[in-house]
Amino acid sequence: MYEELSNVLIQILSQALSIFTHKLIPLVGVGGSVETLEKVPWEYVVFGLVVLAALGVVFGVALAIVAARFVVKTDPKVDLVRDVLPGANCGACGFAGCMGYAENVVANPEVAVNLCAPGKAAVAEKIAEITGKKAEKVDPKIARVFCQGGASLSQRKFIYTGVQDCAAAVLAAGGDKSCEYGCLGYATCMRACPFDAITMSADNLPIINADKCTACGKCVSACPKQVIELALMSKAVVISCHSRDKGGDTKKKCQVGCIACGICVRTCPVDAIKVENNIARIDHAKCIVCGLCVKKCPTSAIHDYHTARPKAIIDPAKCAGIDACAKVCPMNAISGELGTAHRVDQSKCIGCGMCAARCPKKAIDMVESVNAGSSHAASEKVGETVGV
Amino acid sequence: MSNEVNYGSIIKNGIFGENPVFRLALSLCPAVAVTSGVKNGFLMGVAVFFVMIMVNATVSLLRKFINPKVRIPSYMFIIATWVTVTDLVMAAYARDVYKQMGLYIMLIVAFAIVLSRAEMFASKNKLLPAIVDGAAMGMGFLLALVLLGIFRELLGKGSLWGYQILGSKPLLIMILPTGGFFAMGLMMGWLNWIDRKFFGGTGGGGGAH
Amino acid sequence: MWEHVLTIFIASALINNFVFSRYLGLCIFFGVTKKMETSIGMSFTFTAVMLIGAALNWVIYEYVMIPFHLGFLKIVIFIGVVAAFVQAADTIMKKVTPALYYKLGIYLALIVTNCIILAVPLINAEEHYSLFESMALALGSGLGFSLALIIMASIREKLELADVPKSFQGLPISFVLTGLIALAFLGFSGMITL
Repeated sequence: MYEELSNVLIQILSQALSIFTHKLIPLVGVGGSVETLEKVPWEYVVFGLVVLAALGVVFGVALAIVAARFVVKTDPKVDLVRDVLPGANCGACGFAGCMGYAENVVANPEVAVNLCAPGKAAVAEKIAEITGKKAEKVDPKIARVFCQGGASLSQRKFIYTGVQDCAAAVLAAGGDKSCEYGCLGYATCMRACPFDAITMSADNLPIINADKCTACGKCVSACPKQVIELALMSKAVVISCHSRDKGGDTKKKCQVGCIACGICVRTCPVDAIKVENNIARIDHAKCIVCGLCVKKCPTSAIHDYHTARPKAIIDPAKCAGIDACAKVCPMNAISGELGTAHRVDQSKCIGCGMCAARCPKKAIDMVESVNAGSSHAASEKVGETVGV
Repeated sequence: MSNEVNYGSIIKNGIFGENPVFRLALSLCPAVAVTSGVKNGFLMGVAVFFVMIMVNATVSLLRKFINPKVRIPSYMFIIATWVTVTDLVMAAYARDVYKQMGLYIMLIVAFAIVLSRAEMFASKNKLLPAIVDGAAMGMGFLLALVLLGIFRELLGKGSLWGYQILGSKPLLIMILPTGGFFAMGLMMGWLNWIDRKFFGGTGGGGGAH
Repeated sequence: MWEHVLTIFIASALINNFVFSRYLGLCIFFGVTKKMETSIGMSFTFTAVMLIGAALNWVIYEYVMIPFHLGFLKIVIFIGVVAAFVQAADTIMKKVTPALYYKLGIYLALIVTNCIILAVPLINAEEHYSLFESMALALGSGLGFSLALIIMASIREKLELADVPKSFQGLPISFVLTGLIALAFLGFSGMITL
């Protein structure tokens, strides 16, 4: 039986081969088209030289005319700007590569000089120098991950043993995570980052290194679940969840998901939070980064990216005892009699900054505490100055 | 540049280090096309060998007279001339082989390897080193083609240079274009593997082109 | 006459596909098919350059080379014409359509050393095709090449996720893939009895 099979196979292949060699190859190899002659035909040689020379002249003249008529004047400033740019061609500025931005910023008076995200302020200043435009203050952006549901805090629908890449995992019924809005954790974003700013935590969540991140946006487009967004670095309080499932469902799928309970909406002193579609979102234009919502959220879905919160310290020399600060302090951390210098209880102060904004004498400073754990030492210091 | 030109290293470079077909992956078109038989592959390799030597020699001799702005068109002109010569000589003296692969001989002019060697090496060196480099690259190319030809013809027809060696035709598909691509891919992969295992090279691993 | 033109068109696009049956244009084929967008850009540029290049070369062959018996200068003149045309196209595009130039201009330089751009005029010269037949061959080759590029690009994008042995990564596995596609294209050979 195998012999017959192999015979048939050999027959088929031989037929294919014969078609190939007899019908197709003659069309492949084209040879000659020059007849062999008895003696050197000198007139042909002369023809050849004349024709080649003529063609050369014609082409040369044509190309010269084309080059002259279709000349594109390149401004030397464009090259200067191009040299200043980092050259990563990441596209964060919104133009096609560094050359595209260089040309547009020189030619178009409306293009801002601070669009280069990796270049930051230094490059913006240099571009301003070259083009004569003004450099506005750059408000740096950073990539934020809108999911806290790592492997230990969230449920999985099934066990996935395919290609360890989010783009591949999402092809298998939307990924193996129960919550369809969450981070799958297979590090596609880490590989997409050209600046090595992303590492994966032990719980399979991406951690963004604030020093290296340039907000170029490559991770945003790489993530198939669109979990990463670009946000201003100064607005450090973020509701780290995208889940639009109803509160009950979210709770089943993830321990730290937003259940749209609305507590943060009520807590916010400036009404910066809204709940829509079963998810709460902070309006960063209004947010004053006080951090009150972080403490009140029942599922700890809100994350404060400050490494250490600043503390309010009252300068007793400037304080006039107006007591306006004590009235706005949500933690009741300020004490003092009317007319005398007030002081802030450092152990209660959460650094929301409302007192500093309220004080008409500008007597309150928000100080970055060097050792975040020892608020005791700070309060002792304040006690010393007050006791003068 | 030092006065001492190391001919040994030039030759080794041409054949192993920067073998045009397997390392640099340039000029692949003919390597797959003509190697359906060892004879075809060998003659093609000889043609390329000849062209490379002559082109390198000519470019090296004329290097002081060619204006840098028009050097690429000049090199192409020189290469085209020598390829025409080779083409006509082959048409006259190896008519039967020429019928099968005439088109590919004429396409030697489009080889990246010839142009790049002329630009990178011959235009900057004296006559003798340029000739040796051309010969080394040509020899590398020839060896690669013969190797591929042996692989394909032995498996496909069971013969070598037309002389029947094996009784049957083991893998007929090797002579068809499919076989050409397979042979090329497998050879490159195996040579990469040998390079990694025995010479500590870094062949393969993420797209040579 | 039109039957013959159609035969040439289909033959050059499918049966004698320039990449899979005639092994031409491989350097660019492997270089450009890593991403889908570069492949599509290259196919447009290639077809456009092929059509105009083949037309120019045919005109020069018919009206300059044949009357003066300069058949032996084919290679020199064809390459010269293509190079000059590509250079002119480069300059004109940069000025007239800069947007198109930024997208597709990089491919122009690569095309000059493409085997197919030279092969098509050579075949036209050998077979003494008329203008329509030459155009059919040029268009067919352009479409066939585009088809090859798009098929290969879509496979190679998925190949990124596969677990290929270290020695075979990059070019070797792409060659084997091309062999498989060539095997499929072999199925076209019975289409037209020549």
